[in-house]
Amino acid sequence: MGSRRMLRIAAAVEAGSLAVLLLNLLTAHWEPVSSVTGPVHGCAYLFVVVLAFRGDRRAATRIASLVPGIGGLLVLRTVGPRARRPAEPTSCPIPPSEP
Amino acid sequence: MTKFLLAVHVLAAIIAIGPVTVAASMFPAVARRAASGSPRELTVLRTLHRICRVYAMVGIVVPVFGLATASSLGVLGDAWLIVSMALTACAAAVLVLLVLPRQEGLLGGLSKEPAEHDARTPARLAMYTGMFNLLWAAVTVLMIVRPGSTTGA
Repeated sequence: MGSRRMLRIAAAVEAGSLAVLLLNLLTAHWEPVSSVTGPVHGCAYLFVVVLAFRGDRRAATRIASLVPGIGGLLVLRTVGPRARRPAEPTSCPIPPSEP
Repeated sequence: MTKFLLAVHVLAAIIAIGPVTVAASMFPAVARRAASGSPRELTVLRTLHRICRVYAMVGIVVPVFGLATASSLGVLGDAWLIVSMALTACAAAVLVLLVLPRQEGLLGGLSKEPAEHDARTPARLAMYTGMFNLLWAAVTVLMIVRPGSTTGA
């Protein structure tokens, strides 16, 4: 699995689990949900931080990864879409036909 | 809920730390063989390093769920737990700061043409790997013995 794909999954889990935690806090406040989602969120947060520190030397990306809750999404934004597709040839190099 | 958290913690420890121990222990010996110029051993060496790196990251799950288990058991202040957390931190530091960078360096040197290689590096790496294994084995024993704990055998 590529580093970027792992980062995307970790970022989604980080933001999603925080949303679940907050929603649970505001509504039912069901204890088991908090105690399972809490560690899941913690793991996702640490995954994002490690992936960002390992994959990018820029300070902006590293600091963005430390932001709680949405750090992963911020890192995906700073890294940008350029890394999404590794240099795919867009057009076939067809030699111009002689008249 | 404690049972679920503990199950994840133990499973993660077996699945993540086990492979790192085996792969890291094999690494120095394979590095010595790769230094004698076998391309097949170099491929094995790369795979071993990848196992160590990837599973070290998966290992993040172990302390996180361990902390959650401890807090739901209400034993966060116990001496045996504080000691094992400190030892875990040492083990993680040895792995991330000493073992993985040296593996990477060795691999980089051996991948060059011609291969750069210092015969003492695998020996030193083997020592650090042994330190890591010893530290986490001590933590495992502490988790089972739990000296001073009143919660079961």
